[in-house]
Amino acid sequence: MTTKNSYPFSFTGTGGEYFRIWIVNILLNILTFGLYSAWAKVRSKRWFYGHTVVDGQSFNYLAQPTQLLKGHLIAWAAVVAYALSTHFMPLLGVGLLVVLFLASPFLMVAGLRFNARMSAYRGIRFDFTGSVSESYKVNLFWPLLIVPTLGLILPYLSYRSTRFVIDNTLYGSTKARYEGDLKPFQKIYLKALGLFLVPVALGVVGYLMRESSPLMAVFMIGLAPFLFYAIMLVLGSYLMARLGNLTYGGTHIGDVGFESRLRARSLCWLYISNVFLMGITIGIYYPWARVRLARYRAAQLNLQTAQSLEAFSGGQALTAGATGSELADAFDVSAGVL
Amino acid sequence: MSETSCSFEAEYFDGRSARAHAVTLHIADGELHWSAESAQGRQPLVSVRWDPAIGQTHALIHLPDGGMFRVHDRRLGALWPHAEGDVLERWAGLIEGRMRFVLAALVLIAGLVYSGLRWGVPVAAQQVAAIMPAAVEATVGRQSLAILDRVFSASQLPAERQQALAAQLKALCLRTTCPAYQLEFRQGGRIGANALALPGGTMVMTDELVKLAQHDEEILAVLVHELGHVQERHGLRMALQTMGAGAILVVLTGDLGSVSDLASGLPAVLLQSGYSRTMEREADDHAWRSLNESCIAPQRFADILRRLDRHPSETGLLDSHPGTAERIRQFSHPSVC
Repeated sequence: MTTKNSYPFSFTGTGGEYFRIWIVNILLNILTFGLYSAWAKVRSKRWFYGHTVVDGQSFNYLAQPTQLLKGHLIAWAAVVAYALSTHFMPLLGVGLLVVLFLASPFLMVAGLRFNARMSAYRGIRFDFTGSVSESYKVNLFWPLLIVPTLGLILPYLSYRSTRFVIDNTLYGSTKARYEGDLKPFQKIYLKALGLFLVPVALGVVGYLMRESSPLMAVFMIGLAPFLFYAIMLVLGSYLMARLGNLTYGGTHIGDVGFESRLRARSLCWLYISNVFLMGITIGIYYPWARVRLARYRAAQLNLQTAQSLEAFSGGQALTAGATGSELADAFDVSAGVL
Repeated sequence: MSETSCSFEAEYFDGRSARAHAVTLHIADGELHWSAESAQGRQPLVSVRWDPAIGQTHALIHLPDGGMFRVHDRRLGALWPHAEGDVLERWAGLIEGRMRFVLAALVLIAGLVYSGLRWGVPVAAQQVAAIMPAAVEATVGRQSLAILDRVFSASQLPAERQQALAAQLKALCLRTTCPAYQLEFRQGGRIGANALALPGGTMVMTDELVKLAQHDEEILAVLVHELGHVQERHGLRMALQTMGAGAILVVLTGDLGSVSDLASGLPAVLLQSGYSRTMEREADDHAWRSLNESCIAPQRFADILRRLDRHPSETGLLDSHPGTAERIRQFSHPSVC
C-alpha cells in the first residue's frame, strides 16, 4: 500500500487587494449603467480562483466578459420584466415566478455546466454532465415532497443532490464520484432537528408552567423567539459546516480524496462578526468579510493522493452558453452544494 | 516592435496533461515565442488570448489549441498592449493600481448614489410617468387593488351610506377641479382606518375611517387629499421610484438577485411606507385648494388627522408624512366662504 501525500488548500488574497477590485467594479457598473457587471463578475471570479491555491498551483476562471454579456443582458431583461410586473401587473409577476420555478432545474444544470467548463486547474478544465431530466427529479420532484413528509425526506434529498452534483462532475477526462452513503446525512439532520426543537420546547414548557409559576413561564416564552433567531444562525452554520465536510469527504477524483474540517462555531463567529463589521462600516467591510470566509474555508480543506497531481489528463475542450447560468444567478437558483 | 532582449519565466500547460513545463517567453516581431528544454514554439500575438493579472494573481495567456501559459511578471504586458485586456479592463486595471484613484472612486460612488436617489430617480420617475399611457396606469391600479383585497374584505357599510358619501364627493367636484376617480369602500381589517390612492384614480376608503369621522366633511377632506395623489399620479411615480432605487441597489451590489427580493410591488410599498414627504405636501396643497374652493373648512382635515394620529392601528396614511402636528396647524382654519 502506497502512502498518500496530503496537500493543503490555501487562499492567498487579502482584503485590501479585493477592496480595490470591488470599488472599481462598483464605480464602472454605475458609470456604464450596469453593462460592466459582466466584466465585474469575471474579474472578481478570476481573482478568487487565482488566489485559491493547492500544491503551488492556483485555480483559473476562464470565462470571457463578452461571453457573459449576452447572458447578463437576458437576465437583466428577465429581472426587469419581473420587477415591472410586480409593480404594474402583480398577477403576471406571480405567473413569472411559477415559470421560473418550473425552469429552475434546467437553469441549475446550465449553471453547473457553464461554471465547471470555465473552471480549470493546471490547464485542465472541469465539466458537468448531469442531465436535465435527473435535475428535474432531484431539484423539483423530491423537494415537492418536503411538506407532505414533514421534512423527513430532507436527508435523502440532500444526499441525492450531493450525488447529482459530484457524480456528474469531471476533471479533464477523470470522472468524480461520491462514495459516501445516506446514513451520515440522516445523523446531521437529526441533530439539526434537535437544535431546532430547543426554542420550541422552551415555549411549550413555558406555556405548561403558566399556572404553577407564571413568572418563570413569561420568562421562558419571552426568551423563545430570541433563542429561535440564535438557533437559526447556529443551525445554518452547523448545516453548512457538516454538509460541506461530508460532501468533500465523500468526493473522489481518480485516487484523489478530500478532507474538509469546517467547524460550525467558527463559521458562526465569522458570520456574526462579518455582519457586525459591515454594519458599522456601512458595507465597506464587505471585501474583507468575503476574504475572511474564503481564507477560512480554504484553510480547512486538503486533498490526499498517492500519485502526483500532474498525472491527470484533459478531456476535449467544450464550450457552453452562459445564459442559463446567468439567469440562475440572477434569481438565486443554485444547486446549493459546495 | 523591436527585437526584445527581455525574456520571462512562465509555466506552460498543454491542456492535455496536468504537467507544468517551465518555459521562457519572449515577444518579437508580433509573435509570442516560447522555449523549453524539450520543445519550442511561437504563435502570432493576434491569435492568443490574454487574461490580465487581477491584483496579485497570475496573468494567463491562452493558445488557440487549448494550451496555457501562467505568467506572473506584469512587465510582459508592457510589450503587448492587449495584455491588459479590452478597454474596460485596462481602465479597471489603471484605477485598481493606485490607492489614490481607489479612494477617489469611493467618494465618487457615494456622491453618485446619493444624488441618484435624491434627485435622479424622482425626476426620471416623473418623466416616465408623464409618457405612460392611461390604460397602463388603470391596469396597475386594478391589479394593485386585487392584491390589496387579500387584506381588505368587503365593506360592511350600508349601500345607502356608501352612495351618500359618493354623491357628496361628486357634488364637491362640481365646485372644484377633480381628476377622474373611482371610489371604493373596503373593510380595512388589520390595516385599520386608512385611505389609499391607487394608480389610475381608484381611491379606497376603509370602513374604520368612515366610522372614525364625526362629520362627513372630514371624510371629504381625506378624499380630496387622496384626489391630490391621483391628480399628480403619485401611485405610478412611487412605483417607478421604487424600481429606480432597486436598479441603483443592483448596480451597487452587482447582484441581480437582490432586486427579485426588493421588487415587493406597489401594494406593499403603499401599505408599509406610504408616499414620500414631497408627495404628501403636494397632495395637502391640492386638498387645501379644493376645500377652500368648495367652501369646506380646512379645519375638518385637521380634525380627522388629529383623530387618526391617536388611532393605534393606523398605517400608511400617516407614515412618513410631514409631521402631523405641523399639518394640523396648517389646516386649522375656518372656511373662507
